[in-house]
Amino acid sequence: MTNDHPLIQVKNLDLYFGAFHALRNVSVDFHAGELVGLVGDNGAGKTTLIRVLCGIHAPTSGEVFFDGRKVEKFHPKLAIDQGIETIQQSVGLCDNLSIARNFYLGREPVKRILGIPFLDFALMREKSARVIRQFGLRDNVSTDDEVERLSGGERQSVKIGRAVEFKNRVVIMDEPTNHLSVREREHVNELAVQLKEQGLLVIYITHDIFQVHKLADRIVIMENGAKVADASTDAMTAEELEEVIRQGGRVVEKRETA
Amino acid sequence: MAMSAAKPLIRRNAEIGIFLIGALLVILFASTSDGRWANLYNVGTIVQVTATLGLMSLGVALVIGTGEIDISVGSTFGMGALAYLWLAAHVDPLAAAAAAIIVGAAIGLLNGLLVTRTGTPSLIVTLGTLMIFRGIAIALTEGFSFSIPYAARKGWSYFLLGGDDFLDFNTALYWLIAVVAVLLAMLKATPFGNRLLAVGGSAESAHSRGVRVGRIKLSAFVLCGMLAAFAGTLEAGKLGFADGSMGRLMELQAIASCVLGGCVLAGGRISLLGALMGAFVLSSIQSYLVVMGVQPQWFVLILGVIVVLAAYGDKSLRQWALKR
Amino acid sequence: MKHLVRSQGIGAVIGVAVMLAVFTLLDFSGWWTVQTVSNVTQFASILAFVTMGEALVIMTKEIDLSVGSVYGLAGVSFITLEPPLGVSGSLLVALLIAALAGLVQGVAVVKGQLPSMIVTLGGLFTARGIIYVWTGGSVHNFSPDARAHPLTRLLGGELFGIEAATFWLIAIAALLGLLLWATPFGNRLLATGGGRESAESRGVRTERVKIVTFVLCSLLAGFAGILTLCNQPQTHVTLGENMELEAISAAVIGGCLLTGGRGSILGAILGALIVVSFRYELIALGAPSSWYITFVGVVLVAAVIFNQSLARRLGHSV
Repeated sequence: MTNDHPLIQVKNLDLYFGAFHALRNVSVDFHAGELVGLVGDNGAGKTTLIRVLCGIHAPTSGEVFFDGRKVEKFHPKLAIDQGIETIQQSVGLCDNLSIARNFYLGREPVKRILGIPFLDFALMREKSARVIRQFGLRDNVSTDDEVERLSGGERQSVKIGRAVEFKNRVVIMDEPTNHLSVREREHVNELAVQLKEQGLLVIYITHDIFQVHKLADRIVIMENGAKVADASTDAMTAEELEEVIRQGGRVVEKRETA
Repeated sequence: MAMSAAKPLIRRNAEIGIFLIGALLVILFASTSDGRWANLYNVGTIVQVTATLGLMSLGVALVIGTGEIDISVGSTFGMGALAYLWLAAHVDPLAAAAAAIIVGAAIGLLNGLLVTRTGTPSLIVTLGTLMIFRGIAIALTEGFSFSIPYAARKGWSYFLLGGDDFLDFNTALYWLIAVVAVLLAMLKATPFGNRLLAVGGSAESAHSRGVRVGRIKLSAFVLCGMLAAFAGTLEAGKLGFADGSMGRLMELQAIASCVLGGCVLAGGRISLLGALMGAFVLSSIQSYLVVMGVQPQWFVLILGVIVVLAAYGDKSLRQWALKR
Repeated sequence: MKHLVRSQGIGAVIGVAVMLAVFTLLDFSGWWTVQTVSNVTQFASILAFVTMGEALVIMTKEIDLSVGSVYGLAGVSFITLEPPLGVSGSLLVALLIAALAGLVQGVAVVKGQLPSMIVTLGGLFTARGIIYVWTGGSVHNFSPDARAHPLTRLLGGELFGIEAATFWLIAIAALLGLLLWATPFGNRLLATGGGRESAESRGVRTERVKIVTFVLCSLLAGFAGILTLCNQPQTHVTLGENMELEAISAAVIGGCLLTGGRGSILGAILGALIVVSFRYELIALGAPSSWYITFVGVVLVAAVIFNQSLARRLGHSV
């Protein structure tokens, strides 16, 4: 199921925000073709960890390897260029821009006229509409409408559509089913599995261990900024893992060697 | 019913409010001034003032679009004017104008670097540079004003830079039209424009999409400085002289134009045409007071009231339009 | 020691010490004269009033750009209204006008939900415009009777060679310091700036706190204008122009963080002292007076950057 060569390798990562110790000596591997559930309570450090992976925060100390090479500079642009796409809870869409403009923000398609790069509006509209409609965008909303008008679920659709459109090597989903209806939620979960089957690494962040246990190959639990459990879903049941969270602090590693 | 049909239109075009105000004022002023306001000479003056104030407002609007503010433009305007006048006496006016724009770009770069590298609020940084360059401008002109002798006020490049009229309007107008066309295309139809507004809408989201937020803000400040200095150049070209107080209080008028024109100070939503219309409305009011023989001091008072009312009106209109 | 470093005035205390040392070394004879010291304390006291008000507003995470105009307007009202109302009457009305200016702006910010920068920018123009229109550019003076009035003497005279403004400053600064650090209102004021939502969740009426702070700020600016004119009872239309810039600079130099919730009265006073001292030192060194504006600008930017990095080092989020 997993190969020997991890796609992302995190080694002894520490991160401070001022005096606050947000990540404590975190080491974890992620492999291509794997769906990893990253679980923990609010403030456990899940979101901080993935913000390092997608280049928003630089770690205070420790190393991150991507595809065997050490990451020297942390910037979202570099992460995106390497094929790491993130779907985050509150970040990612600018309320003031249209859906199509948000969809392509940072990597806008251009048509050169006299050498000047102009936005390729036709492509932006047509493609973004096609992708997002699959994920439940109302028919009466145009991709020229501002994101401000969208519901929570529709916003998530835009972000997921964006992750699908720019086929990447890593898709990080940060609480992707928050604010979604039951049906939308199932759709998103199916999609996560689908992405994995296409050979991508999917990191699925949630605090709902039962939901993600059904989908994931492996569960990583974080607590107080440190990794406390790393086990394949075949090796430990959701109930056992929940017990780990409840007790806290005890480090568990169980791997099924397939 | 007709009102609710207007909602989506207003939602997408915040500048509609100022265009309505502008139209109403034009009718009001023309009908109450007995021909003293609505004549070619006076309109020409209004257009010239609008052009220089407008160029400055466009730059401020771009900076507001990124969620920052630049109140140093009044001093940049003055520095541009002085640089142009000083050099135009020695070299070709076009070269002098280019140098003036470089001075503006340098001031913008300083603002932008201070804001993006130190994380200092732009209001304070540009308040500081407003004072710094005003002081320098006054010191440079201590006791005398920069001027170009009448004998030297000739040549097509001198006239091209605000020195004369073309088709009854000061050449500044044609510069304004060219600049606004370029900026509109840039803002609406290029990746840079998309990212500029994204930075103002949510710097965090833009950053997470790989947009280099600092670089975008820096570019906006540089552009703003260049436009303010160019506006100063055109004004100096028109007057032929300038002293250290050139452009004083213009920063406030430029911000007022932007707010009147529907630019949201929180960033992300600006209208270049609205800012221009704002500049036109302000210069129209000023000119109306002059031709009606009202003490020009009233303008300051009215400007103050207008700024607050415009901000309030703009906010109410937008809130109404966003209601479903 | 740690407590001292954490208090917001520390940058200003260091600044004053360094500045005095440098000025003394540069120009001992020009600096330590009775004339210079007396002028500097007089004008620093006046600016300190305006700065304290500005600092309070900044602590609530707002800003007031209108203080220079309100200062001028109160001063002009005081002189212009003296003939019909008498000294005490015009003093009262001038203070009322200042308070009204603060009230209108505060209400516009809070109830109109507008950025204070825009509202007070409007206030700056409006109050200045009223001065222009009202006086028509003419100069007004106090009659000899009014000059000799005990109230004028009390506000503008001197004692032991020290200007009255300095005594007033000490008294009012002590009151404000007490208000800020030892009363529920002060606590709520800082909470409003530090975390408005949290403050509201604890039942603090942040809107009311902000309005009161704007009124207080305008009152202090107005009082400063009146003190100035009691000392030199002559109005001119530019009275207080650019003072908002000096006041904001002084407040920031004194350790007010523009992100709200932090600042100190003592810092504001020391900030005002630094700004005014620079002006006198530049004059004493023979620099053209216009360089003064440039210097205030440089000092403002440098102070903000210094205070921010200090605050970050102490672990505050800025």
